Amino acid sequence: MTALRVQYYAILREQAGMSREVVESAAGNAAELYDELRARHGFTLARSQLRVAIDGEFADWSAPLTSNSEIVFIPPVAGG
Amino acid sequence: MQGFFFSADPLDLTHLRGTVEDATCGGYVSFEGWVRDHNDGRSVARLEYEAFELLAVKEGQRIISEAIERFGVTRARCVHRVGLLELGHVAVWVGVSAPHRGEAFAACRYIIDEVKHRVPIWKKEYYVDGDSGWVNCERCAAAALDSTAQTSHHHDHSHDHNHNHGHADDHHHGHTTPMTVARHPHGVRSPDYSRQQILTEVGAHGQARIRGARVLVVGAGGLGVPVLSYLAGAGVGTLGVMDGDTLDASNLHRQTLYALDDVGQSKALLAAQKLRALNPEVDVRPYVERATDTNLTAIAAGYDVIVDCTDNFAARFAINDTAVRLAKPAVLASVYQYEGQLQVVRAGDPCLRCLWPDGTRDGIVGNCAEAGVLGPIPGVLGSLQALEVLKVILGMASPAQGAVVLLDLRTLESRRLGARRADDCPAHCQAPAEHTAVDLTVSVTLPTREWTVIDVREPHEVAIDPLPGLSRPIPLGQLLDNPEQLPTGHRYLCVCAKGQRSLAAAKALQRVGREAASLSGGYTA
Repeated sequence: MTALRVQYYAILREQAGMSREVVESAAGNAAELYDELRARHGFTLARSQLRVAIDGEFADWSAPLTSNSEIVFIPPVAGG
Repeated sequence: MQGFFFSADPLDLTHLRGTVEDATCGGYVSFEGWVRDHNDGRSVARLEYEAFELLAVKEGQRIISEAIERFGVTRARCVHRVGLLELGHVAVWVGVSAPHRGEAFAACRYIIDEVKHRVPIWKKEYYVDGDSGWVNCERCAAAALDSTAQTSHHHDHSHDHNHNHGHADDHHHGHTTPMTVARHPHGVRSPDYSRQQILTEVGAHGQARIRGARVLVVGAGGLGVPVLSYLAGAGVGTLGVMDGDTLDASNLHRQTLYALDDVGQSKALLAAQKLRALNPEVDVRPYVERATDTNLTAIAAGYDVIVDCTDNFAARFAINDTAVRLAKPAVLASVYQYEGQLQVVRAGDPCLRCLWPDGTRDGIVGNCAEAGVLGPIPGVLGSLQALEVLKVILGMASPAQGAVVLLDLRTLESRRLGARRADDCPAHCQAPAEHTAVDLTVSVTLPTREWTVIDVREPHEVAIDPLPGLSRPIPLGQLLDNPEQLPTGHRYLCVCAKGQRSLAAAKALQRVGREAASLSGGYTA
């Protein structure tokens, strides 16, 4: 299990009911982590609708996670 | 041959004279500005001219066209030097030919005066004592400080000052006579830009760049209003305002340019009227239409920077793709409740489609109408966009380039996420932008026997305002997860509040071979 810092934006923040959390997870990559969190928080967005950033850079879903990584899930927004 | 040009080489005056010769003309007037050996009591050894050529040539061309139209001359041309010039060199040449001498003199005078006043050219003086300095910016900063000390008659004063300043600075143009003009040649009072011109990054040359810039703002709503207001205030020369909507009373809490009495009128026309009142120097051009790939390409070609202030993905992607295709900088922003995203895309930068290659994301998260927003949120993001546009014009670097900046305005936290250009980005690959083929306009009292209605709104929306008649609720996320959950052999009509999520749903269904359409404009339309 690895401690990961996770940050949510937009509708994900709303559905998680929080902006950030520290997650203990065995997820090997960002995709697995999102699926795990989606099941926990009931996120309505599919992974294909999001981007993930790891430690301040946009990353691929297959990118591996290391201890204390900061992971940000970002849906696109279009309000104006 | 008419027009405004720059030359890095010494001017060939005989050749230039020939370019305005015309058999119908009885008069030819020319002006030469020379590099002279002193300025403000200091001995000058040589000069260096630098121009922001992209904008300078356009502004110069505008001046030539104005002179031809205003004075009715036949040919007019102006060539300005750039680079290093020695004493005695010709720095600028103006040639005008006309049927009679009167209009030729007037047009020649007009052109040189306006070029000195409006075209972003600045000058470094090299002094005999070995020192050097960029003259215009230092002087204007001083002039600006001076004008702020005098608050009475500040309109006339500042303009008068600028005008005289232009001529006082004219030391190399040996043939001009300093003149005292209390008013702009157009008879228009100008605003006072001194507070921004004091900044080192602005100065006289920066202000000239701002004046020469042409910015297209797409969307005159929550984001667009601060963008337009600040850019008009800053003195951006040409502002395009594109919006096909009319003002709704529900817009006023965040669109502070408008008033209650304006409700029902075109936002583009309203904005144009109010911006002209704010700053009559700005050429405001309203476009009462929604942004599409087609009209954007034609309109954006006449602008230097494009600003995305729209509230839907279709328009955002159209703006992004057009900017990338035309190699013009784009400043993109969007908001969701208390959050905003900001991205500046210049040539070679990762663009919106590098991040979101699939452009069919409309409506997967709500817009302001669906998700709610506090007025200052788009106000903050729009203000940042105005700032980023000014940085682009002034040539200042920005961390919003090559990244998306996320702002959480509830916690006041900001975060910069670095992005990379995608090798297979459809915008950069110049692939034709995706077109909407499934938008359908039908009445809400639809014949449900023919259509299976899929309500793709979130459960809480459905609970508040259920659709009339039979419909099947499947939130968009669930539908996109597995569009094949819907059997073939039916015609699906996807419905949401505004018609954006339903469009995404219908496209997803079409991709897996289902017959599907989207209720255009949504259930609330």
